[in-house]
Amino acid sequence: MLHYSFMQNAFMISILISILCPLIGMFLVLKRYSMIGDTLSHASLAGVAVGLMCKVNPILSAFLLTSVFGVIIEFLRDHYKKYAELILVIVLSLSVGIAITIISAGAVHANVESFLFGSVLTVTREDFYTVLILSIVSLITIVGLYHQLVFITFDEEGAKIAGIKDKMINYIFSILVASTISVSIRIVGILVISSLIALPVATALQLNKGFKTTMLYSILFSFIDITLGIVISFWINAAPGGVTALISVFLLVFILLLKKLNFYEIIK
Amino acid sequence: MITIENLCFSYTQNTPYLLKNLCLTIHKGDYISILGDNGSGKSTLIKLLLKLLTPTEGKIVDTFTNLAYLPQRFENLNSQFPITVYEVLDCYRKTLKLKDKDCIFKYLDLVKMRDFSNSLIGKLSGGQCQKIFIARALMGTPDLLILDEPSTGVDLKSQTEIYSLIKNINVSEKVTVISVEHNLKAAIDNSTLIYHLSQGSGHLCNPDDYINEYVSASTRSDRNASL
Repeated sequence: MLHYSFMQNAFMISILISILCPLIGMFLVLKRYSMIGDTLSHASLAGVAVGLMCKVNPILSAFLLTSVFGVIIEFLRDHYKKYAELILVIVLSLSVGIAITIISAGAVHANVESFLFGSVLTVTREDFYTVLILSIVSLITIVGLYHQLVFITFDEEGAKIAGIKDKMINYIFSILVASTISVSIRIVGILVISSLIALPVATALQLNKGFKTTMLYSILFSFIDITLGIVISFWINAAPGGVTALISVFLLVFILLLKKLNFYEIIK
Repeated sequence: MITIENLCFSYTQNTPYLLKNLCLTIHKGDYISILGDNGSGKSTLIKLLLKLLTPTEGKIVDTFTNLAYLPQRFENLNSQFPITVYEVLDCYRKTLKLKDKDCIFKYLDLVKMRDFSNSLIGKLSGGQCQKIFIARALMGTPDLLILDEPSTGVDLKSQTEIYSLIKNINVSEKVTVISVEHNLKAAIDNSTLIYHLSQGSGHLCNPDDYINEYVSASTRSDRNASL
């Protein structure tokens, strides 16, 4: 299987995604903003449509447009604190509206479906390098801001009083979410990206560990989900997005069952 | 020193003001408890002191350089949040850019919580949790400590320990303490001054005068009501 160059590209991108998605997902889930991931993944469809229409790299155009939408959400969230869900609905409508209008008007002469469901066949070397650069920059930013992000997520008011520039960091974080979504849409697809952001974290949270340990477990679970998703989708000839989403749900249910059966106590 | 001059505040920026023409001077080493009914503006005053809100009129001049804040923890703490006591303190240490990692254990020893360093914060009791946040507040060696109802959700034994700790810091380290209180006994026993807020206005007095002016009056009115 790995002698195919498209599978090599897909696996290399998958490793990057399996690190990035849960890193971002940890903060999103604990801030209770999981739905922002879903909204921005739909916003990335508008970016893909614009990119394909203008014949520029769709991952890059998805990143740019998703970043803009992410910053808009953060800006409005600050002003309409009690209506956060409404802001997501507005951005979702706007972005899906742009995407459907461009696609249905016939302005896009490419396979949009591969971005919706994920595909390993269409991953090119150019995609790989774009994903690589975005991932490395995102990872360096997360590592650099790690403690501020943890502090803001745990105690936003305390962080502000301690002198952390919470607004600026929240804006940077929105761009990081956009970047993570953009690098993931090629493999897992727009429709299931939010499950990859939230589910490995939800699974790791069941283990009741500290922040860093939970994060490492969520990366492990994410890696299992994506790797198995790609391998199984290759053998059954299905889109990797759907299979990955199914595996991430099965893994969560499996861990919940182990927890229910007090498995950790038994193996101790 | 903090000087509050003719401070007025309204969330809508218009009259009627929630706080009206407050004037107060807080000196180094003072332990001031802010008392008052629900909705009297105690927490708003704290937020103004913390610069989380801006005065509508008047000004606050603050010459303290190192502020620490102990929030009313249990209302907001997500008990499912996956973070250990050590991680909470380490985050704060890195924010303050303190190089010495061992200082975390020094402050955990001070509040007698070293054995809990690897425990999840959400699994601790109210009193234990409050002690951890006191340790966190003290890490930056503050000259001003602002507390928002430190005894909320804390059992009696832990309350005694927490107030003795705060009083000790106030006396031995000359750390100025401003505390919003519902716990009248703690306020009278520990404070050097009491600031009573009522209908937007403030009145500063010492604990003995406070008992004569407010506590006795309310006790008298309670007694009359029961008769």
